[in-house]
Amino acid sequence: MTATQAPERETAPVRSSSRGAAWARANLFSSWFNTLLTIVMGGIALWAGVSIARFLATADLTIIEANLRLFMVGQFPADQLWRPWLATAFIAILVGGAGGLLAGDAGQRAEESGVPYRPTRLLDIVRRFWPIIALVVILLLFTTTPTPTILTIGITILGLGAYYAGRAVPAGVRRWSWLFVVVMILATYLSLAGFGGVGWNEWGGLQLNLFLTVAGILFALPLGLLLALGRRSSLPLVRWLSVGYIEFIRGVPLITLLLAAAFAIGFLIPLDLRPSTVTRMLIAITLFEAAYIAEVVRGGFAAVPRGQIEASHALGLSTWKTMRLVALPQALRATIPAMVGQFISLFKDTTLVAILGVPDLLHYSFIVNSQDDFLGKGLFVITLGFAGLIFWVGSYTMSRESRRLEKKLGVGER
Amino acid sequence: MTQTPIYSDATQAKGEAFIEVAEVDKFFGDFQALKNINMKVGRREVVVVIGPSGSGKSTLIRCINRLEKHDNGSIVVDGIELSDDIRNIQEVRRETGMVFQQFNLFPHLTVIDNITLAPRQVRREAKAVAEAEAMRLLERVGIPEQARKYPGQLSGGQQQRVAIARSLAMKPKVMLFDEPTSALDPEMIKEVLDVMVELAEGGMTMIVVTHEMGFARAVADRVVFMADGQIVEVGPPQHFFTDPQEDRTKLFLSQIL
Repeated sequence: MTATQAPERETAPVRSSSRGAAWARANLFSSWFNTLLTIVMGGIALWAGVSIARFLATADLTIIEANLRLFMVGQFPADQLWRPWLATAFIAILVGGAGGLLAGDAGQRAEESGVPYRPTRLLDIVRRFWPIIALVVILLLFTTTPTPTILTIGITILGLGAYYAGRAVPAGVRRWSWLFVVVMILATYLSLAGFGGVGWNEWGGLQLNLFLTVAGILFALPLGLLLALGRRSSLPLVRWLSVGYIEFIRGVPLITLLLAAAFAIGFLIPLDLRPSTVTRMLIAITLFEAAYIAEVVRGGFAAVPRGQIEASHALGLSTWKTMRLVALPQALRATIPAMVGQFISLFKDTTLVAILGVPDLLHYSFIVNSQDDFLGKGLFVITLGFAGLIFWVGSYTMSRESRRLEKKLGVGER
Repeated sequence: MTQTPIYSDATQAKGEAFIEVAEVDKFFGDFQALKNINMKVGRREVVVVIGPSGSGKSTLIRCINRLEKHDNGSIVVDGIELSDDIRNIQEVRRETGMVFQQFNLFPHLTVIDNITLAPRQVRREAKAVAEAEAMRLLERVGIPEQARKYPGQLSGGQQQRVAIARSLAMKPKVMLFDEPTSALDPEMIKEVLDVMVELAEGGMTMIVVTHEMGFARAVADRVVFMADGQIVEVGPPQHFFTDPQEDRTKLFLSQIL
C-alpha cells in the first residue's frame, strides 16, 4: 500500500582520490593475476567503447530520418496521420488517468489504515520512466519539422494533467474507473480505425507491434482465466479439455502457430470469409497467450493458502463466491509479476509476424535497406539497432515497473 | 454506555442435544484418523477437546462443518444431518462458526471487510447494517480502532480476535475453535482466551480444541480426551484433571501438567 521508494542506489565509496586509489588497489590490482585481468579487460572495454562512439559519431543516420514514419506507423496514409497522434493522446490520457486513479486509491487506503504514504512527485515520474523519455527525445531528434515536437509536448501535458486529475477524483466516483479505461481504449481504437479511418489490416510499424501485444493480452486474459478455472474443475471432461489445450499449445512454438494461421488455416476457409493476415496473426497470438496466462493464473491459485478457502467455506460462502471473492483476488495479485513478464515476451514475439510478410517494425527495419538511396550500403546495423533500441526501452521499462510493483505488493499485505 | 454482552442466548435450555456425532470413522488414505467416534454436545455447553498431536481432535471438529468429509457414521447439527447434499452442508456451515489456528483472515481485505464479507454475501445484509454490526463486534473484542487496517498490520492476538468477530458476525449457534491460541506469542494468549471466556459465559455452544488447560478447567462443562483417533475419556473438568480413570489420560496429563 505504501509508496516505499526503492532504496537509494549505494553510492560508490570513492570520494577522494586517495580513497579511489585505495579502492583500485584493493579491487583491481590486489595480485599480479588481478592486475593482468584488469589491464586486459580494461583494454577490451576501452576498445569497444571507442568503436561504438566512433561508429555513432560517423554513422549516417539519414536512413532512420527518411523512414521514421514507416518505422512508427507503416503505410498509414499521409493525410490521416492526425489519427495516430490522436490515438497517442488518448493513450496518454488513459495511462496518466489510470495511474492517477490508482495513486488516489492507494493514498486513501494508506490514510485509512494509518500507513505512511508519500504521493508521487513529478521528479519520481521522470526517474521512473527515463528510458522512455530518452527514447522519445531521440525519436524527435530524427524529425525534420517542429510539429511532432509540439504535439509530443502537448500530449505529455495531457497525460500529466490526466494523472493529477485522476488522483483528485473523489472516492465515490472512483469505482467507475473501469468505465474510463474501457472508453479510452475504445476511443484509441476508433481514432485510428473509426469514422473513415484505417483498419488494423493496413497498420504497420511499431503501431502494429503494440496493437498485437495489447490486443493479444486483452483477448487472451479471459480465455486464459477460463482455462485455469477449467483445469481446476471437478468435471473430468472440462479438466481434460483444458489440460489438453494448455499442454498442446505450450508444446508448440509460436512461429508454428503463426505459420499455420497464415498458410494452413487460410486454405481451409473460403476466400470471401477468410480473415486478413493480421487478424489471423492476432487469433494465433491470442490462442497462444491464453495457454501461458492459464499457467500463470494456476501458479497464482497455488499461492493461495488452503486455509483461505477453508475459512471462506466455514463462513458459509459458496464455492463460486469463495473463488470470486477470496481466491481469485489473491491469485491475480500474486500473478502480476509473471503477467508482466508474459507481456514483455509477447511484445518481442510479435516481431515474428515479420517473417510472414506482415509489415511490423522489424519488417521495415529490414526492407528499408532495399530502398534506392540505401541499397548495398550495409546499414542493417543501424536499422536493426534502432528497432532493437525501441524494443529494449519498452521491455526494460516494463520490467522495472514490474519489480517496483512486486516490492509494493509485499508491503501491507499478509 | 451499558456493555451489551458479546453473545447472549438465554432462549435455549442448557443440555438439549445440539450436535450428535455417532459412530464416525474418517480415513486419510490408509490412515484412520477417527475411529468410531460418539459424542453429543448440548445447547450452551462448552466442550474442550484435548489430546496429543495426531490424535484426531482437529479432524473431529473439521468434520462437524464439513471441511473434512466423514467416511462412516452420522453427524447431525441442530437437526440437520450432514450428507453430500450441498444445501445441507451450507445450512450447517451457516449455524457453525470456526476459528483457526492460523487465523486465516483474508489478507486482501481490511478488517471490517473481512467481517462484513459473509454477512453481505451470504445473508444479503445491507452494507450499513453489516458494518454497524461489525463495529459492535470489534468493540466487544476490544479493537474498534483497527477496523480500516489490513490483517498484516495487526498482531497475532488482534488477528485472532478479528477472526472471532468475523465468525460471530454470521450469528452462529455453535463455535468451533481449532487450537486458537497455538500460533500466538505467550503474551497474546490471554487477550484471545478472555474473549472466548466471555463467549462461553454468554451461553454460546462451543467445541474447543486447545492445549490451554487453565481454560479447560475454568470454562469447560466437559473435557474430552482423545488419542489415536478414539475418545479415551470424557468427564467434567474437576474430575478429569484430579481423578482421571484411564492410563492414557494419566500419562498425557503427567506429561503436560
